[in-house]
Amino acid sequence: MSVTREEMVQRLGGSRRSFMKLLGASLALAGVEGCTRMPASNILPYVNQPELTPGLPQFYATSMVLDGYATGLLVESHEGRPTKVEGNPDHPASLGAAGVFEQASVLQLYDPHRARRVRRGNQTSSWSELAAALRQEALRQQAGSTGAGLFLLLEPTSSPLESELIDRLLELYPAAHVHFYAPLATSGALVPLYDFREADVALAVDSDFLASGPFHLRYAREFAERRRPEAGAMNRFYAIESSVSVTGNAADHRLALAPSAIVPALEQLLAALQDRESTKWIGALAKDLRAHARRSVVVASPYLPERAQALALQINQALGNVGRTVWFTRSPLVGAGDARHSLASLVDALRAGEVRTLVCAGGNPGYATAASLGIGPLIKRVPQSVYVGLYENETARDCGWMVPAAHFLESWGDARAYDGTLSVVQPLVEPIFGARTVVELLSLLIGEPDVHPYDRLRDAWRTRGALAGGAGFDEGWKEVLRRGVLDGSAFPREQAAPEFASEERPAAGSGALDIVFRPHPRVHDGAFANNGWLQELPDPITTLTWDNAAEISPADAQRLDIDDGDLVELRAGQRSLRMPALVVRGHADAAVTVHFGYGRDGEEAVARGVGANVYALWPGDRFSISGARLSRVPGARRDLALTQFHRTLEVSTPVRALTLEQFQNLQPERRPKTLTLYQPTAPLPDGTAPHQWAMTIDLGACIGCGACMVACQAENNVPVVGREEVLRGREMHWLRIDWYAIGPPEGGHYRNSVVSKGASVVSGFSRTEPMAMAQPMLCQHCEKAPCEYACPVEATVHSSDGLNEMIYNRCVGTRFCSNNCPYKVRRFNWIDYNAGLSETEQLARNPDVTVRERGVMEKCTFCVQRIRQTEIAARVEHRSFAGSEVRTACQQACPTQAIAFGSLDDAQSPMVAARTTKRAYAVLDDLGTEPRVRYLARVRNANPDLEPSA
Amino acid sequence: MSAYGAAVVVDRAPGSRDVAPVDPGDLAIVQRVLAPLEETPRFWLVLFAICALGTALGLFAVGYTLWLGIGAWGNNIPVAWAFDIVNFVWWIGIGHAGTFISAFLLLLNQPWRAAFNRMAEAMTLFAVAIAGAFPLLHLGRPWFFYWLMPYPATMGVWPNFKSALPWDAAAVGTYFLVSVMFFYLGLIPDLATSRDRLTGRTRRRVYGVFALGWSGTSSQWRRHRAALKIIAGIAAALVVSVHSIVSFDFAIAQLSGWHSTILPPYFVLGAIYSGFAMVLALAIPVRGWYGMQTIITIDHLERLAKLLLTVCLLLTYCYTAEFSTAAYSNDPLEHATYFAHWPAGPFGWLFWTMLVLNVVVPQVLWFRRYRRNLNVLAGVAIGVLVGMWLERFIIIVSSLAQGALPSTWHGFVPTWVDWGILVGSLSFFGLCFLLFLRFVPAASMGELRRHRIEKIYDGWP
Repeated sequence: MSVTREEMVQRLGGSRRSFMKLLGASLALAGVEGCTRMPASNILPYVNQPELTPGLPQFYATSMVLDGYATGLLVESHEGRPTKVEGNPDHPASLGAAGVFEQASVLQLYDPHRARRVRRGNQTSSWSELAAALRQEALRQQAGSTGAGLFLLLEPTSSPLESELIDRLLELYPAAHVHFYAPLATSGALVPLYDFREADVALAVDSDFLASGPFHLRYAREFAERRRPEAGAMNRFYAIESSVSVTGNAADHRLALAPSAIVPALEQLLAALQDRESTKWIGALAKDLRAHARRSVVVASPYLPERAQALALQINQALGNVGRTVWFTRSPLVGAGDARHSLASLVDALRAGEVRTLVCAGGNPGYATAASLGIGPLIKRVPQSVYVGLYENETARDCGWMVPAAHFLESWGDARAYDGTLSVVQPLVEPIFGARTVVELLSLLIGEPDVHPYDRLRDAWRTRGALAGGAGFDEGWKEVLRRGVLDGSAFPREQAAPEFASEERPAAGSGALDIVFRPHPRVHDGAFANNGWLQELPDPITTLTWDNAAEISPADAQRLDIDDGDLVELRAGQRSLRMPALVVRGHADAAVTVHFGYGRDGEEAVARGVGANVYALWPGDRFSISGARLSRVPGARRDLALTQFHRTLEVSTPVRALTLEQFQNLQPERRPKTLTLYQPTAPLPDGTAPHQWAMTIDLGACIGCGACMVACQAENNVPVVGREEVLRGREMHWLRIDWYAIGPPEGGHYRNSVVSKGASVVSGFSRTEPMAMAQPMLCQHCEKAPCEYACPVEATVHSSDGLNEMIYNRCVGTRFCSNNCPYKVRRFNWIDYNAGLSETEQLARNPDVTVRERGVMEKCTFCVQRIRQTEIAARVEHRSFAGSEVRTACQQACPTQAIAFGSLDDAQSPMVAARTTKRAYAVLDDLGTEPRVRYLARVRNANPDLEPSA
Repeated sequence: MSAYGAAVVVDRAPGSRDVAPVDPGDLAIVQRVLAPLEETPRFWLVLFAICALGTALGLFAVGYTLWLGIGAWGNNIPVAWAFDIVNFVWWIGIGHAGTFISAFLLLLNQPWRAAFNRMAEAMTLFAVAIAGAFPLLHLGRPWFFYWLMPYPATMGVWPNFKSALPWDAAAVGTYFLVSVMFFYLGLIPDLATSRDRLTGRTRRRVYGVFALGWSGTSSQWRRHRAALKIIAGIAAALVVSVHSIVSFDFAIAQLSGWHSTILPPYFVLGAIYSGFAMVLALAIPVRGWYGMQTIITIDHLERLAKLLLTVCLLLTYCYTAEFSTAAYSNDPLEHATYFAHWPAGPFGWLFWTMLVLNVVVPQVLWFRRYRRNLNVLAGVAIGVLVGMWLERFIIIVSSLAQGALPSTWHGFVPTWVDWGILVGSLSFFGLCFLLFLRFVPAASMGELRRHRIEKIYDGWP
């Protein structure tokens, strides 16, 4: 890239500096800050191409760090602007998939509400002024010659580069203090790793390992490998949890317990393993686990009390699983397990007034800490405080200096995955708002503010010696940049097991309720609260958007006479909080779940004022409390922007499930001959087109995490419509996740009586445990599409390769197509949803996909732009191509590989193989629409002891 | 007939070609019908002001819709059609009675139609014009409405003839043109009478222009009668076809609640039903206000009431057929639509209100006493109008709201713009009708006079 730029400089006949000036001027004129600002340093595309062809995107490997752990990514860049994030198949935490946060991170890069200026107090300042204020003499004067008054508060980091810089800082200021804090970060010195491919029986204890945590993409992939009955022996999966999670809904058997009942349940399980008396459920589980000793695994949530984690470890040890399905490695986090680095010790110092200079980089401690700490006013009292952050948020408000932080897509750095694997963070663009990285901040503190982070990173890798030295280094280094990952850098397994403290947990009050604190599945700890894609991405359990709610069980709701949206008051000790309630089928009784991340009051326009801040109730050191109370606030309500209100299976059976036994005895479905007056159409493929596109979705593998939805949104320029429009039922997602209530009928909204429609429908749903089943629903590309004949102007037509095409130019917006679509996957631009989009957000748009205007219909296109690109590339190269060469955005993002796409004439492809299995079916097939999307029924490996076959 | 053409002139002004009657009975008819054209009563002014206000509200709501987009309404996915199409079908239904009364009854030689036909035809015209505006307005991009018409576009694209919407556009367009012709053709002799009988230079000139030189010769009358019968024949066919085609908007869809073969006759009957109701609802006050009791007699109203009852029974049969077909289908979705979603869904109370207003209340018309009670008659008519609007609402919104996938179910809440446009359309209708009453002879003088004479000479009932 730098070559191209140098060439341009030559052609312009000017110096590099004048070129930059020119660039800056033209950008200023265009009113677009940072458009196509490719980093000057040498970033290398994932797939080497000799030169940059305008119009063809490049992919670069980088890493996104969340709570200290890296996930490797490949980022699509169009003429120097990143537009789409994919997973890096070479990275252990990704394996090619990308979760919702990774997918949505590209929007955060272009967020117009990001901080744009260095600020001191209310005055605009600059990086060099900050460098002057923090130069050695000044700092020693301020914080003491040994730096005893210098405190750093960083986000947990696994970066060797940052670690080295911190070491150098401590050499310079030996008495300085470094603290790491993120509300959801783990702190143990040893971390557990699991292998779900080896586990025949798995038990998740309050753990959402399939959809959250640093390795969830990998775990989801490995877990799903054992959920395909055609591919080999299925695992049997149990879940014990308080709140309903994605992972719990994927279980074969699920037990809902209040948090305070979980430790006794684990104790009982441990006892039952030693043949002692237990409940039926625990007994059956214990029997199953024992029968699969050394091939089973118990996964405990890191948010559980240490006693529960210790019990889970004991159970694993008793079963001989340790070293097989579960093992431990050193935590890749810098300073892990060392209490000196904790937030608590910083708060003590703040209270004691020992902090002279506080440098706070990343995170948002002013918001995301237990309210009881009162950290905001404490920070405000510090004589000199610096905050480096993405937004002018709660923390920035309390700090003297504010420096805009660089987004990871603008940063040079390195980081480790959960298992220790090293990867690089390389920028796709120059910092859009002149922002700075933590590496630069640390460089500044050690008195080297002008060393370019790229040079620093490269030198650090050269000195570290993990790559070949001398002339060979450049080759190795280029390879690392290209692939993003350093192979073989994972930490070795440790023989030791972590030790857990046994702590006393006082009840927060005299109430009878437990409160469960959880990261929000969409905005995490609040870090993503200003991201419209994530705000509008329905919660995977409740489909709630743009809000958080107190989740309670139907029985509790009935007892307390609470309905969805009723305002309730939660009281824990002296603290209370008001928020709307939401009834969640399957939630444990006598417990209420609340999610972090809402109730923000910084300067972030999207996040501000949305939802309730549950840090107000959070004690800070544990994720559930007992003794709380909940009461309804009479007459007060808040409309909840849910995207789905009904989960009944009364009128149709869009989701299907079989027990393993049913599956094994299942005869291939014989479809009744359709009686028709019309000539039968030729069976496809009929030779009119080289490919006939189709999709197969495995409901056994799908966990409903929603990664596909964000991937689709990013790829296809799907607009964000906002809470009011979601309330009106106008969300625009081309791909949505439908949830259906399975299991026994229960109170609340969800009735359930499975209607048997013919012999082909078999139900393997649990008859005793209330659960939900996910179904990704997108345009089914019906061969006999009801939308097509309804359109008066032929704006939706069928292509020769089997796509149901939408011609935006021709659409007049009668919406007849949507009315006639039984799947209701069409989306209408009720108003101009792209009006008022900031110039930076416009940069996030995929240039290969039309941005739709007001008044036209839109829907899933099977990523037609990707299909046509592949076609064109093949034509240019004078070759034919296989259908599997094209991958849709949803398919690519899916961590469990539940979505398969390809061509029907590719008989060998997994997609075709899957749709010809016994469990394949079409949704609403009795309507005769002949959809091109086929679903595979979920197979449920029920325990015969818990559920005798009917 | 002959007594007609060669009128003897008694009170004509010098130079005029008045074809007005010598007979005092004839004269009474003419004076009674023409009286409103010469004065502006107070009630007219008040009503006009109210309707003008409502129209302004409607225009504002329409302007807001055009400015913002369809998002100004409460429509959503799945309820992509709501008030827009409900109003369309309702108004087009009302627009059926005029032609039905005029054309069918003309073809069937029912002379009593003359009391209402002009009013009904005017009503048709206004209703169809208003109805026609809704499909245009409800488009996402209304400025491309002409893409629904088959015209030789440079790109060589045609409308999709498989879709019911271009049929709809063609049918409604044709119906409107035929209605205009039918109305105007019937009006010509009366315009001539107005020209000749009214005072004031401008007025005479304007009516003179529109009278197209009618002089009342027997050859003109002969041709007029023939033309009227031909257009009546065409219009009668259209009455059946237009609303059948409107019903295809729903019947050709696969949506449960729409997908029903009974819909064409059902919709035609529903249209006539609401049309008769509207004629009654208009005729009753108009005859009182303008003292036209001798022209629109209580016997006439009773005949209309009997027709209303007949259509009510036919429609009730359609309801029964629709529900029993659904029951017989053994399709869980059909069962759910007709036996759960419509009667017990979020709009269940509207469904039951609709049944009461459309089926139960009109049964009072079995009794002569009530058929001749103007208050009862007006109440029943307004009830049917509301009921028919609700029927369309149930069919359209309730079916859409709860489709084949429960995950997609979503309610519908109208916005102020929805209400504004509905109120605006009613007001605009009122406005047009008031102008019609003020400037156009509200009953067919020519026909009334002919029937009177025929009654005298031929002993017609």
